[in-house]
Amino acid sequence: MKKQKEQHEQKNQWLSIALGIVTATGGFLDAGTVATSGEAGAKFGLGLIWAVLVATVAVILLVEMVGRFTAVSKKTYADAIREDFGFRFYLLPLTAELIAESLLLAAELGGIAIALSLLTGISWHILFPVAALLVWILTWRAPFDVIENGPALLGLLTLSFIAGIIALGGIPFPVLTTLWKPSFQQGTVTDYLYLVAAILGATISPYLLYFYSSGAREENWTGKSLLLNKVTAIVGMGFGSIGSMALVVLGAIVLQPLNMTSNTLGELGLAMAKPFGIIGSYLFALTLFATCLGAALEITLALSYNVAQGFGWEWGEGKKPVEAARFNLVLTIFLLVAVAIGLFGIDPLQLALFASTIIALFLPISLSPFLVLMNDAQYLGNKTNGRFTNIAIICILVIAFVVAIISLPLEIISGGG
Amino acid sequence: MWKKVPIYVGFIILLLMTTSCQLKQPSFSITAGNIGSAFAASETTLLYAHEGKITYAYAASSFDNFQSELNGADQTIAASQGVPAASTMRQLLSLYQEAMRAVNTPCLNDTCNWHIQIAALDRASKAFLKAGNS
Repeated sequence: MKKQKEQHEQKNQWLSIALGIVTATGGFLDAGTVATSGEAGAKFGLGLIWAVLVATVAVILLVEMVGRFTAVSKKTYADAIREDFGFRFYLLPLTAELIAESLLLAAELGGIAIALSLLTGISWHILFPVAALLVWILTWRAPFDVIENGPALLGLLTLSFIAGIIALGGIPFPVLTTLWKPSFQQGTVTDYLYLVAAILGATISPYLLYFYSSGAREENWTGKSLLLNKVTAIVGMGFGSIGSMALVVLGAIVLQPLNMTSNTLGELGLAMAKPFGIIGSYLFALTLFATCLGAALEITLALSYNVAQGFGWEWGEGKKPVEAARFNLVLTIFLLVAVAIGLFGIDPLQLALFASTIIALFLPISLSPFLVLMNDAQYLGNKTNGRFTNIAIICILVIAFVVAIISLPLEIISGGG
Repeated sequence: MWKKVPIYVGFIILLLMTTSCQLKQPSFSITAGNIGSAFAASETTLLYAHEGKITYAYAASSFDNFQSELNGADQTIAASQGVPAASTMRQLLSLYQEAMRAVNTPCLNDTCNWHIQIAALDRASKAFLKAGNS
């Protein structure tokens, strides 16, 4: 009987690991990464793949750490910042998150609306409130595992981008050379640096860390979940970044020779329409829909988790709205704020790029507490960071500081890419 | 010490914004390049729609975005720094207006002459990209 129970537990653990990998892979992309990857490829060939790789390594390390922290300490990242640094300090990352992620949420809703618009031909301006309503219904009613796994499973369509590259005959040699020798046209150096900042900001989004940490609590992770955490972070995020890199490649192979710079989301779909025709354009639109929906759900919840945990309110998707009333009210307010931003009619792709820059600007504020918390034995016992991971955090923080300093001036100088 | 952190952060942001606003120079070459790329995207979208690679619905949605991107671009480029000779500008603006007719009312069925629109978009795209690179 005991052996059977152990076997059952082991089977469940492997199922969780497999699901974790799949969801991390499918959930990696969002409006910000789609916008920055496509534009990077269309403007600089493969010359910015290195930035995607650096961002991926950083996000793998951070996700692994925040998951380990929550599993061992049974506290979310937000809880720990408030406890360790005090409520006044906590207001800093909270405010940064509220500003940056509200913009990103509006961009994700715009991404959903544009995806639906590409499928139906109806103006995305009309579909924007529909997208917000869809996200609100899902966050209000759906349980956590549906929110976490549903869009992410659909997001596996991103793997079709790789099929697109293969169908186009792979990467031609002249494009491959841009990997180490990107071509700069007159006045594009600031564009290049701006995109580096935006790629880092889009990939290392702090909302991902807050969501992952709160999700680990929602699923009652313990010290036994550390293997699941490590595999999800390394394999899932690693595979996820392939979708992002595939978009860079598609932009370089298809859009750059046609002198397109991927200034609108629909342009990117043409890269998939070239090898696969209408099916390719549908695949792109569906992928955009799934990735933006997944990200919009995660951002809405991450923001609400942040506020509720910061103020010590009841929170959780497992609870009925009446049991966590303030958490659900905050969630609704954020969606209304995002709708209000969307009503200005700013193109979602430009908004995603701008939000990524603002996130890059605030990155040091959100990431600095890591260095202290991950070395606190009161929280982590013998699972504190080793020398390698501490050096890695310091490197990430240095990158974050540099990016924060250059991101806004570059955004203004380059005119938003 | 923590109390003053928000003030420092706010100050740095303000300083960065002020400095970069002073540095910003709307350049003719960048604006022309962007307009040329947008016309190139419009041209490919229209072509793919008539080749059956994308649906007319997909194209209509894309043109909605091209309109937002390109409407008013003539005024932006005229106000940018490093504007070329008046004759070149006149020629560019004439090509812009011709191409904008295609962007604003793209031929997304078989009853109108889409070849003419493709040609107009192609001419405008090449001229703006050339002006941006020179």
